[in-house]
Amino acid sequence: MHTDPTPPGIKREAITFSATGSEYFRIWIVNLLLSIVTLGIYSAWAKVRRNRYFYSSTHLAGSSFEYHGNAIAILKGRIAAVVLIAGYNIALQISPFIGLLMFVLMAAILPWLVWKSLQFKLYNTSYRGIRFGFDGSAKQAYKYFLWLPILNAFTGGLMTPFLHQRLKRFQHTESRFGSAHFSFDASVGSFYKTYLLFFAILVAGLVALIVVGFGSVFASFAANANDPSKIGSILLAIGAIYLWMFTVLPLFLTMIQNLIWNHTRLQQHQFASQLTWGRTTFIMLTNLLGIVVTLGLFTPFAHVRWLKYRLEATALLAHGSLDEFVAATGEQVSATGEGMVDLLDFDLSM
Amino acid sequence: MTDTVSARYFDGQTSRLYHVTLGVDGDQAVLAGDIERRCPLAQLHVSERTSHAVRKVSFPDGAYLEIADQAAFNQLLHASGHRDSLVVRLQQSWRATLLALLATVLALFLCYQYLLPLAAKGLAYALPPAVERQLGQGVLELLDDHVFDPSKLATARQDALRTQFARLSIPDGAALEHRILFRKSKIGPNAFALPSGDIVLTDEMVELMPDDQAIMGVLAHELGHLQRRHLTRRIIQTSAVGAGAALLFGDVSTAVAALPPLLLDLKYSRDVEREADDYAIAMLRHNGIALEHLAQVFVALGKLDHGTPYLSSHPASAERVARIRAAQ
Repeated sequence: MHTDPTPPGIKREAITFSATGSEYFRIWIVNLLLSIVTLGIYSAWAKVRRNRYFYSSTHLAGSSFEYHGNAIAILKGRIAAVVLIAGYNIALQISPFIGLLMFVLMAAILPWLVWKSLQFKLYNTSYRGIRFGFDGSAKQAYKYFLWLPILNAFTGGLMTPFLHQRLKRFQHTESRFGSAHFSFDASVGSFYKTYLLFFAILVAGLVALIVVGFGSVFASFAANANDPSKIGSILLAIGAIYLWMFTVLPLFLTMIQNLIWNHTRLQQHQFASQLTWGRTTFIMLTNLLGIVVTLGLFTPFAHVRWLKYRLEATALLAHGSLDEFVAATGEQVSATGEGMVDLLDFDLSM
Repeated sequence: MTDTVSARYFDGQTSRLYHVTLGVDGDQAVLAGDIERRCPLAQLHVSERTSHAVRKVSFPDGAYLEIADQAAFNQLLHASGHRDSLVVRLQQSWRATLLALLATVLALFLCYQYLLPLAAKGLAYALPPAVERQLGQGVLELLDDHVFDPSKLATARQDALRTQFARLSIPDGAALEHRILFRKSKIGPNAFALPSGDIVLTDEMVELMPDDQAIMGVLAHELGHLQRRHLTRRIIQTSAVGAGAALLFGDVSTAVAALPPLLLDLKYSRDVEREADDYAIAMLRHNGIALEHLAQVFVALGKLDHGTPYLSSHPASAERVARIRAAQ
């Protein structure tokens, strides 16, 4: 029981995820069938069903989360997304100039859509009956989703870690649970350190592969150029590089996710994330293999497996009771409440 | 008053947890324990049944109950006349799920096999030629820069071939505007049609052909691609398949999502070659040219390639020769 407000000190509250692959498989396949039969229209309702299941299966300190997304709002967002993406692709086929115009238009609209869907996602999530929220302004959204990325492109991507830190800081400091704000204190330096470490490992592995693997391939090439097995060994070397990429990308994912959540707080309560490289790589590789081998039928199991690992590696170090959060004040609710009518969820995933 | 179930109540204003029991009294839900509350059943919303997520009952004012004891709660719901929706019943039954799986595979197959080609065809024919001409604009310039040199064929020979083809009559009404171009190529014998209406024939292709009638066969085949709007249809189809695959698998991996469009595109391109062959057969027959000339095109090409029919973009040459000879 966590009702007792008195114990001082820190209590570790791990997130648990009780969804199972076999139950999600049933939800997924029914969603899929109805989405196909209705030519995609049902996919908005499918998303609501899926999120309700996942959110209700996510527990923290004995209570679960809840998803309140409205299917019609999701459908509107999807129609907007499809029109934009299709319009962009068609424009690009017709003429490069019209394609460029469409690209500029997309760049101008996207930050606004991303901002709206950030609001949508948080506003429609609740825990213990209290809704989350997002206070960031459209102006900030344009700064972080348009101007900084443009600036970053001009500096040849050297600003990427800085941009990543600013983006996460924006997202996390502007998010709130009821009236309680989240905070974020990872430094730009720690992002650069993580990116550099990742690149060092990536390049070291590639160099090792090229020296060891390709060295022997080229040696056999030079010795016997007509050997039919040479194509096999080249494919093997390329395969080894792909395998290395698939092994090392999860490393980046684990390092970044741990960095971000280990520096996020909700008032005095600190988050902690303990993903490990080995486990993440194992799950991602076997998921990929499972999906290919089963022609896609493993997809829902893969989804649950990955979510379960990621969520359960996260905990809240509760500093005192979790009973004392309050919903946003009446003023805040009506201010955001009005804006909620035109919220869109700009996301195409099922 | 019915049996009660224990539940956790949140008031929607604070994160405070109240331990309560939920019972039903007539058409009212009754809460007792840390807090007392009554609410008409009709105003409550019950979350859908699943076996692994907690059940929730929400009140109109944002307050809600979490119920962990599924069995007892289901009994209570049953007693109060609550019924699961059709979708929930489908999702909870393995038999229904398996049927849904079969129906999904069938629906995907039917969409891909019949609906998509039909829609792409309708859309491609509905597009005004001017728009189609815009597609792939600049492709010829790009090829001229990197792959092609000007043709070494004598201008008189080029014009003779053009005139000969222009004299042939079209099997189905009017021919789309087209232009025959000759190029010297770094990639060997080849012929293709661009949506701009340009039919490109490489010098190597002209030399490979045993006689002029065979060249007419090649040109008829390429005109078939234009007349049947193959490139436009292909763009529409691959975009649709790509979007579908991204929706199905994009969540998990973009690498996986890229696979089905690639494989299906290879199959599409073989179907399209057959359709263009059929057009060439019809055109030659219409003009009284023996189909054996067309068959010789693929005999000559067959000596060059050794592709497998499953993963290649064109049907095997021997297969095409057999089809053309069977049509005689």
